[in-house]
Amino acid sequence: MLTPAELVWLLAAVAKGDDVAFERLYAATRAKLYGVVLRILRRHDLADEVIQETYLKIWRSAGQFDPALSAPITWMATIARNRAIDLVRKRAEGSIEEEPEAAEVAAENPDPLARRELNERLKALFACIGKLEPERQRLVLLAYYNGWSRERLAKELDTPVNTIKTWLRRSLLEIRECLGS
Amino acid sequence: MTEDQEILAAEYVLGTLDADERVQAQALVESDAAFAALVRGWERRLGELQAMVEPVEPSPEVWERIKAAAIGMPPEEPMRLPQVTSARRRESATFSFAARNLALWRGAAAAAGALAAVLALFIGLREFSVLPPAPSRPVETAQTPDVGRFVAVLQRDATAPAFVLTVDVASRSLTVRRMAATPEPGRSYELWLVSDRFPQPRSLGLIGEQEYTVRPTLASFDPETIRRATYAVSLEPQGGSPTGIPTGPVLFGGELIEVSPR
Repeated sequence: MLTPAELVWLLAAVAKGDDVAFERLYAATRAKLYGVVLRILRRHDLADEVIQETYLKIWRSAGQFDPALSAPITWMATIARNRAIDLVRKRAEGSIEEEPEAAEVAAENPDPLARRELNERLKALFACIGKLEPERQRLVLLAYYNGWSRERLAKELDTPVNTIKTWLRRSLLEIRECLGS
Repeated sequence: MTEDQEILAAEYVLGTLDADERVQAQALVESDAAFAALVRGWERRLGELQAMVEPVEPSPEVWERIKAAAIGMPPEEPMRLPQVTSARRRESATFSFAARNLALWRGAAAAAGALAAVLALFIGLREFSVLPPAPSRPVETAQTPDVGRFVAVLQRDATAPAFVLTVDVASRSLTVRRMAATPEPGRSYELWLVSDRFPQPRSLGLIGEQEYTVRPTLASFDPETIRRATYAVSLEPQGGSPTGIPTGPVLFGGELIEVSPR
């Protein structure tokens, strides 16, 4: 992965139509973005489709990226994630058959904390999520990483959907308050 | 903005809305600037979670399809250049590091995170007790109110400062301390001053192999430029950039933070 500054440069060059920069940007970010969408879609054919749309969107609208608002990889991952979730919702929850090989990627309990260097923003976020009750921590992380709807979360956590709705609402407000911004 | 809209924005970003609700949220993003700001706020709060996702390599055919589709489909929107006036935007024909990128670059340095600032203060204050004295030079700026000691942490990510740059504005000298950066055989690290006052980065010279490099190379810059610039390190061929502007990858960057009272 390149540095944020290098990615900003590449995005700036892409916005001017620089196809060499576009290829470098793809090379530097494809595995991260593919990981993000495969985890949500759990099928390689769908992930291929979404990643293709995502990079075409980035190619066309790199000029909209504002480095004052977000890190480049976060901006790109947001585009990819939104497309993946839109596709999952359009195909109706539950009708997607999961590939066995995707199961590992989409492991249900994200436990990444022990393995990575955390940046400061992420540390603060994890500290705030860590203040939630354990079940709600799980709820928030499963929602984010797997892109699950409230209905799916209700099913997986064996909890009424109205309860899920209330938990989400409270958890998100608590996170906002905890982060203080 | 109601709490319901706040939650709609938050759940949109988190990904828990159903198909209809997502369409509704997306319509609001397009039509309602206040709602769009809520969404951006939640993207900022939650977006870093992506850092934990395990990378997975897509198949090579994916790129072939993207490339084929991108041909003949030029970018649509112009760049946003809030901080660079058109008069300064003199572009280099051969190298994309033109003035228009400076605003972006500065933004990226700012976005590197709050830790940089904290770290800078921490490291900066500690370093001053052990730094070698700056070379003695005539102080030409004794009357300026902008005199001070500044430090920039030049880093690749939030946890690994590669170089710590300290600047003494009074003597316009700088000291670079090599931290985590390892020497690259046959290549040189070159330090740059990036300012929207100049169309291109200005070289501040090579960073030596030893732990400290001390240089009185800021003499030609005024204190305000020195203070407000972004500092960057690129990896260049041995001996430095042959063209006078960065040719290799820019590896580290940061902005100055004041660490001693004026």
